[in-house]
Amino acid sequence: MLNVTSLSKAYRKKVVLEQISFSVQPGEIIGLVGENGAGKSTLLNILATLQRPTNGSIYLQEKSYKDEKQSIRKAIGYVPQDIAIWEEFTVEENMIFFEKLAWKKRGNEALRQLCLDMSLDKWKEPVKTLSGGMKRKLNLAISLIHDPTLLLLDEPTVGIDLKSRKEIGAYLQELASAHEKMILYTSHDMDEIIDLCDRIICIGDDPFYEEILINSGKAILSF
Amino acid sequence: MMAILHTRLIHWKKQMLSILFWLLFPILATLAIVYGTNLIQQDSKIPVGIVAGDDSEIANTLYDSIKATPLIRVIDVTEAEARRLVESHELDSAFVIGDGYEQDVENGRRNRLITSYRSNLSFAYAPVSQMIISLVQQDTSRSKAAHTVIKLSNNSTEQWTWNEIVAKTIEIQREEDLLRTTFSFANTAGADNENHVSLWNTWALWALFSILSTLLLFDWLIKEKRAEILPRFAFIRFSYQDYLFVNVCLYTMLFFIFDLLAVIVFYTYLSEPISLSLIGAILAFRLLIIMGAFIFTLLFRNLYLYYSTAFLLALIIAVISGAIIPIDGITNRFGWVALLNPIQPFLHVDYISPWHIVCIIIIAIWYVKGGKSNA
Repeated sequence: MLNVTSLSKAYRKKVVLEQISFSVQPGEIIGLVGENGAGKSTLLNILATLQRPTNGSIYLQEKSYKDEKQSIRKAIGYVPQDIAIWEEFTVEENMIFFEKLAWKKRGNEALRQLCLDMSLDKWKEPVKTLSGGMKRKLNLAISLIHDPTLLLLDEPTVGIDLKSRKEIGAYLQELASAHEKMILYTSHDMDEIIDLCDRIICIGDDPFYEEILINSGKAILSF
Repeated sequence: MMAILHTRLIHWKKQMLSILFWLLFPILATLAIVYGTNLIQQDSKIPVGIVAGDDSEIANTLYDSIKATPLIRVIDVTEAEARRLVESHELDSAFVIGDGYEQDVENGRRNRLITSYRSNLSFAYAPVSQMIISLVQQDTSRSKAAHTVIKLSNNSTEQWTWNEIVAKTIEIQREEDLLRTTFSFANTAGADNENHVSLWNTWALWALFSILSTLLLFDWLIKEKRAEILPRFAFIRFSYQDYLFVNVCLYTMLFFIFDLLAVIVFYTYLSEPISLSLIGAILAFRLLIIMGAFIFTLLFRNLYLYYSTAFLLALIIAVISGAIIPIDGITNRFGWVALLNPIQPFLHVDYISPWHIVCIIIIAIWYVKGGKSNA
């Protein structure tokens, strides 16, 4: 379980996040929405341990972000907004490269299966020849190599075709339901968020809603 | 270590040709420059025809002395050929060591010992003929001295032959070589009495090209710290500092293998001596430029700005090293300029220089500071 309590972040005098509190249960997919500059990426970076909060506390499976950062990093899969892969490598080389550096060893077959689970079947193809959708899938697959319990995705489907978007969405739902992963997901596409997420957390200066439950794929929104 | 080596091998496999090129670049560029300048030197020598008409020892010695002159290219010709080639300006001039040269010298004759041919375009005739005259005068003076000694020894019990006296004078001349002045590079003190004049110090050239190739091959660090890929390294089982450090060690090993190759190539093709102290100095120099390149690379994020600055830096080092333009005047006046030169300790076969200490301190600060910010 992820517990965020009274989280704030300020850059000098500019407050980006203020008093944010929420929790994520295993198997839950949370949509993180807000206007541009609202602090979505900052919140995700803090949850990924890449930035420090100004105030507040975060616990992942009862481990404090403050005291057990290295241990927490082992449980986090972070999918950055930019595609963070080696363009000159093949899919296989990218997977092997990051597996060699990862905490958990998988072996070639398991890595290949991970890609196939996401309908990424171009194992030997150089990444630069792949479509945007395929690159996004690889970007996600690399973040899953060490089998994290918390998956943080920063606009993982931006700029890709509908088919790839659906495939990524289906795979994330499978991860959450079958493997009890906690998933935090940012996107500007409300339809996608409503389709995919169990709850939505809205952040920003003037939120028109805060936390919304979605039942059976249908959002209950109040404007 | 093995895991990082594996990831590095994937990178190297992708850039094999360019890595190989830059690793071999210092060797190839040094060979090209040394051979190229030798070739130009050879072509710019004055073509002089020599007709060896006398097969005596003195005549042969004279012929060898002319041939050994660095700025003359001796072409063996017959007298008829000599006339024709001088007429067609293929030879600057020609000199005939006539039959009976030794006899004439022995008899103390000093006129018409050598016949020469020149044309209206024999620009180098005057210095070449003066040089040959000086060699002939050496023989005739020696002969005259021998005759004088023989005359004087007629009244003493010790008797000398002409040949013995001439041999003795040659021996004395060799032992007390008062007229020869040899110029050599600082680290080639043993290379005196060589007629071959090289314009370059091989290891200084190699060191300059090595600095450039190391800087250019260290672009991997800029490519790998680009903003998109950097977050990935927060989720690996090594700290980012350790990951970079191990990679730098792998690059050092790779570079050093090619440095040893340079030692073998220069020994084989340029007759540069091999010694353990040289290999030690190369290793110390390699560590210095690796550390320097690493620190330099940490300052950049833009690849093209890095490349242009790397070329500029290599050029500045080339100038202050004195390898291209002599800076003895400046270093004699301002001794601290020599301290700025990172190549100087290597050329003096020193292992530790102030630059080593500066680089080690900077890298230690980076490691500790980076480690803390990463934790």
